[in-house]
Amino acid sequence: METKESAKVWMDGVAKNITFIVTKDCQLACKYCYLVGKNTKERMSWDVAQKAIDYILDNSVDFQETSVIWDFIGGEPFLEIDLIDKICDYIKTELFKRDHPWFNSYRFSFSTNGINYDSEKVQRFIKKNQEHLSIGITIDGTKQKHDLNRIWKTKDMEMGIQPKAGDEKGSYDDVVRNIPLWLSQFPNAGTKVTISSADIPYIKESVLHLYSLGIHEVNINCVFEDVWNEGDDVLFENQLTELADAIIDGEYYRDFDCSFYSEHIGKPMDCITQNQNWCGAGRMLAIDAAGTFYPCTRFAQYSLRNKKAWIIGNIHDGIDKNKLRPFLTLDRCTQSTQECIDCEVADGCAWCQGENYDAADTPTVFQRSTAICKMHKARVRANNYYWNKLYRKLELEGIREEFEANKSKSNTERIC
Amino acid sequence: MLKYIVIELCDTSTSYCHYSNYCDTPELISIDNLKAAILFAMKQNLNIQFVYPDYNLPKEYHEAINSIDHVKIKSSNASNISDADIIVHNGLNTITDFNWTKGSVHVLRISKADMGNIPELVDKTKDIIARLNIVITDIDRFTESDFVDYKNILQKLENPIADSLTKNNILLNLLTDRIILDKMNNCNAGYETICVAPNGKFYVCPAFYHDTPKKSCGDLANGLNIKNPQLYRLDHAPICRHCDAYQCKRCVWLNNKTTFEINTPSHEQCVTAHLERNSSRHIAEILKNKYSADVQTIKDIDYLDPFDKREEW
Repeated sequence: METKESAKVWMDGVAKNITFIVTKDCQLACKYCYLVGKNTKERMSWDVAQKAIDYILDNSVDFQETSVIWDFIGGEPFLEIDLIDKICDYIKTELFKRDHPWFNSYRFSFSTNGINYDSEKVQRFIKKNQEHLSIGITIDGTKQKHDLNRIWKTKDMEMGIQPKAGDEKGSYDDVVRNIPLWLSQFPNAGTKVTISSADIPYIKESVLHLYSLGIHEVNINCVFEDVWNEGDDVLFENQLTELADAIIDGEYYRDFDCSFYSEHIGKPMDCITQNQNWCGAGRMLAIDAAGTFYPCTRFAQYSLRNKKAWIIGNIHDGIDKNKLRPFLTLDRCTQSTQECIDCEVADGCAWCQGENYDAADTPTVFQRSTAICKMHKARVRANNYYWNKLYRKLELEGIREEFEANKSKSNTERIC
Repeated sequence: MLKYIVIELCDTSTSYCHYSNYCDTPELISIDNLKAAILFAMKQNLNIQFVYPDYNLPKEYHEAINSIDHVKIKSSNASNISDADIIVHNGLNTITDFNWTKGSVHVLRISKADMGNIPELVDKTKDIIARLNIVITDIDRFTESDFVDYKNILQKLENPIADSLTKNNILLNLLTDRIILDKMNNCNAGYETICVAPNGKFYVCPAFYHDTPKKSCGDLANGLNIKNPQLYRLDHAPICRHCDAYQCKRCVWLNNKTTFEINTPSHEQCVTAHLERNSSRHIAEILKNKYSADVQTIKDIDYLDPFDKREEW
């Protein structure tokens, strides 16, 4: 029996992830977006991009990974497709000229809102680089769920004036029209769905809707910010339980994947053998329009509500390695509360280092935010229900052993 | 658990550590705050260290200070150093003609540019003073060549210090502490030590007060309130808890300045501490081999920065 496994991220955990924040502008103003400092002014220049690439390739001793993922984010990265095209051409040329080991092991990666996906320039870029591209389009589910949060930005918003609820314009129709083209070019692509408090009632129908669009992999997670209301965990558990019923009864588990359900979560963890940090911040490099380096985009000022940007260097002076030492020595238990360390269902409880930093009582990455505690526990209960129900079904059908032999051995959950 | 309280009597009180005090406006702690700080220390059972300005204090301050056991920290430029328990020398200027007294305790704050003078100073004082704590104020700016220079300077001191130890003479923080210690003995600001500044507020140490006076951790009226207190403890310092450079100051202020985290030391801090550790190891070997002294063995290691060994933790 064939079952759908989460598609592995290319060279996950092996490749260096280098992120160009090419613009802080976006056509949308998603209500859950953690980027609090988006603006139309900070666009990366070619000069900065070139200097950043030169710095990275000139200092290969500090970038020893065998592969590289060149990540482009915004705002909306495809707003800067001309710059991105020039950057990618330059990277390819330089890798070749320098006989760099990355020449045969690189990817260009994009998370896009999908609005410009079918534009001539984006399509020309895709055709030119198709063999080395990963593109994820974010679509949150049904039109109702998507349009609840992913709304168009207006001129008034740029001046701080929020539209009335009735005046908001959702972006679902502008995105969904590009899904068939995207899936024809990247049939194994997945989408990323973000859940905040208001989205909970729409989870089940949204995941099923995405499946109906032909998206086989739905990576879905709750926001890490402290947005949760009393009772959200109960609603969340109910939605995930109903979704489990739908996936199992409809046998979607054969061809589709939803990252909410993982056999590896919901168990206690050991502080010696399972002490690794969840997040890859510090092992990545992010560069903004000013040529400033960060351990991850989440540490750039436009991502932070309460704290100062965590700057680790710039294209002129290079990386101050002392500023990376906390990230590279950070472990699970040192940053966790005793309650988290003792938690019976700790495994799979995720965190974002940037949100931890932003929410911490002091400017530290060593204080883990526990805002999603109740939501994780609800997820674990629904997840247990899913696997118990699925295994009983497979047992009764006489195909459990075959399923277990075929299933993925590793948890490939991606949260950011 | 808190054990010590540093009471900075004036904004111009001498620095005795890595930070610099550029303040030249003498803002004295109020007498009420001084008395409140002493009362706090008494009730919390803390050892008090008063850090003095260079000028004479009013009589009522002396009366308050003398109402409790304490340690006096004074600059060598202070108006009266005869009663100082610890004398701080800010740079080498006052050293040359200084009248060293038998059994006295000194802190020397110097920059890396002056560290070449350490062997001569140790030679001059080793039979007189009881202890010399050397603070290189700019170790965060050490380069690879500075590490080489520092190693050579420490090497020059190994035989004289070994010889001195056999005569119960000078203790030098850089080289003799590690020989005696069998566990970390760091500054422990924020965990074992707290500071009261002249404004009546608590700070982790005077360095934080002079750097960012707005970031206090409580005040005498409302009590101490250190956020994330666990991060000042050794068990929450991922690099340091694996380290055996026990003499390292593990300065949380320098940590914060160089890595943005109070619990994470810089590369420069780790390497200098390990150069001291390794020279201490050589001295221990000399003591054992040449003088048949009963001292602990410090193991030979192949790194200078424990961060480089993090995959093995």
